[in-house]
Amino acid sequence: MKAQPLILSFIALLWIFSGFAFGQDEDKKLEWSGNLDSRYLLLQSNQNSPFYKMSFWKSGNLSKYLSQYRNDLYLNADYQQENLGVHIKTLSTFYSDSATSFSLLEAYGNVNISSSSFMQIGKRIYSWGKGYAFNPVGYVNPLKNPENPNQLQQGIDSLSVEYVKSFTTGPLANFALTGILIPATNTTGNHYAQIEDTDIALKSYFLFFDTDIDLMGYLSRTNPKRIGLDFSRNIKENLEVHGELSYSWSIPKSVILENTLNTQSKDNHSWLLGLRYLNEQNTTLIAEYYHNGNGLTKDEFQTYRNFVSGAVSSGSDTAVRRASTYNKDYFNASVLMQDYIYFKASQPEPFGWLYFTPSLLAIYNVADGSALISAPLSFSPVTNFELIFWSTIMAGGSGTEFGSKQVQKKVEVWMRFYY
Amino acid sequence: MRKHKLYELVLICAFIFTAIPVFAVDANQILKQVDEKLMPESYESYRKLINEEPSGRKREYTFYSVKKGIDKIAMYYLAPASEKGRATLRLGENMWLYIPNVGKPIRITSMQSITGGVFNNADIMQIDYQAEYNASIKEETKKEYILELKAKSKTVAYDNLKMWVAKEGLILEKIECYGVSGMLIKTLEFKEVKDFGEGLVRPSVVETNSPLYKGYRSYMIYQKIKSRKLSDEVFTLNYLPKLGELR
Repeated sequence: MKAQPLILSFIALLWIFSGFAFGQDEDKKLEWSGNLDSRYLLLQSNQNSPFYKMSFWKSGNLSKYLSQYRNDLYLNADYQQENLGVHIKTLSTFYSDSATSFSLLEAYGNVNISSSSFMQIGKRIYSWGKGYAFNPVGYVNPLKNPENPNQLQQGIDSLSVEYVKSFTTGPLANFALTGILIPATNTTGNHYAQIEDTDIALKSYFLFFDTDIDLMGYLSRTNPKRIGLDFSRNIKENLEVHGELSYSWSIPKSVILENTLNTQSKDNHSWLLGLRYLNEQNTTLIAEYYHNGNGLTKDEFQTYRNFVSGAVSSGSDTAVRRASTYNKDYFNASVLMQDYIYFKASQPEPFGWLYFTPSLLAIYNVADGSALISAPLSFSPVTNFELIFWSTIMAGGSGTEFGSKQVQKKVEVWMRFYY
Repeated sequence: MRKHKLYELVLICAFIFTAIPVFAVDANQILKQVDEKLMPESYESYRKLINEEPSGRKREYTFYSVKKGIDKIAMYYLAPASEKGRATLRLGENMWLYIPNVGKPIRITSMQSITGGVFNNADIMQIDYQAEYNASIKEETKKEYILELKAKSKTVAYDNLKMWVAKEGLILEKIECYGVSGMLIKTLEFKEVKDFGEGLVRPSVVETNSPLYKGYRSYMIYQKIKSRKLSDEVFTLNYLPKLGELR
């Protein structure tokens, strides 16, 4: 996509905006921030995987080793004047001069109606739930990458209102209520939508007996209705526990039956239970168990894999195109099955190695025994600069979820500059 | 004569039984005054935190903080750029960290250190000592009180503190922090008494070192402290992403 004109217009607009802001007020009301990630990626493809064959269908004899170089520029602007503000987060990705893209991750305005009530309108990233890698109650969240949960994703168009109340006595210390209106995504001619298709998300928060508790719900005519709760509590000075539980009505689940896509809507529940522990050696351990009620069983995954395998073995362009469409529209989640264990250990400056933080993370598929194992190593010798060496391997047999991924191993080198 | 002795005995007993609680109350009263001398009831401040490594290299952080009452404090990171926009909140023993990219506050514990270095979260977001500890007088010299502080709950970062307080002005001078096992975890020294205005005279530098971090030192420098009326709702999770707007 040719995005330069759009980017230039956007930057020019902000520049003019900042000029006005600085011109009228000595206080800097407009603040810029962000980071530039220069990334080099080296992949070892899993050429026997049917998913690899589907993705690189008729791409010729490619090398088993692929590389990619890209620059991700995150540019953020925050303008605040007393009780009004405008907040923008953008991502520009440059693969080459002829392959760039621009995303407006967030663009919203906020009004502080009073000291206890706030309103935001525009495109905004929400993050509901207490889990690190997975959020069964993340009804308004963007799709998360469990391998790198902190990676910024696109927000949603919405109008949100928050009310907060603090109490000085009794077991209830804080209470908050958040209501979000989400305009219909199904539009006619890309401009008009039925007002009945507007979704509503509600969340109430309680800090009760030193425990964070959220109760949430999602009301919709076109999407599944859901209710859920989450909690988080510090048990000791170095131990935190958290959990989420969600119940969904008529949530569609797609499986392959007799070589065709079969989608049925059923009620189901998902949950997560986790902890974070800091030991005396300053190692942080995070462990979570995630049950996805809408995920595929081991047999359902096998059937889906066999379907893709059959499509590529048939040599038929039509069959591969169909499998590819199903993959993109119905099986595109980062994890597809039902039960996972997430584990992460992180140790800042081991053996006295300054500025160095190695981590080890794993996502283990309980049903088929496959796993994604990853080791991000971060080195930050200079303020506002970070060098990340990130290696990942997929472990498991050829019929398993992680064992049949397109990529067998990958190594990424990031150079991150903050400004 | 016998009646007189009985009278003396009653007097001695009365003195012993009343003197013990009075002594304990005094220690907590001193602690309360130490807290009051350190911070106004409701205020905003700008602080710099410097972590010095064995090689002599330094890492600096700048925070904007607001505090209200004895156990509410919130902090907004102004620098460096890699940390800007982060915010932390502490309500009693509950602590949260908000990272803009994560987009939600996550619970943190008092023993973690979000900035690295010798200071942990409880040190950086110190609430009034009286909120976390019960005090007793361990020793008293001509110039200072030495208080012994015992944690009120298990979630407090340090089980015991030994606190040196100058009698003149009840200025805090030094704290030794001990774990449950009795091991010395770190020492905090309060230096360079400065007049911040509005009658607030207190140490402007807090220096720490620890036998667990040999060769490392961390400093916290208070640059500006000013009384400010703040609503209780500022100290809530919903307000954390907006904390920077208060500046």
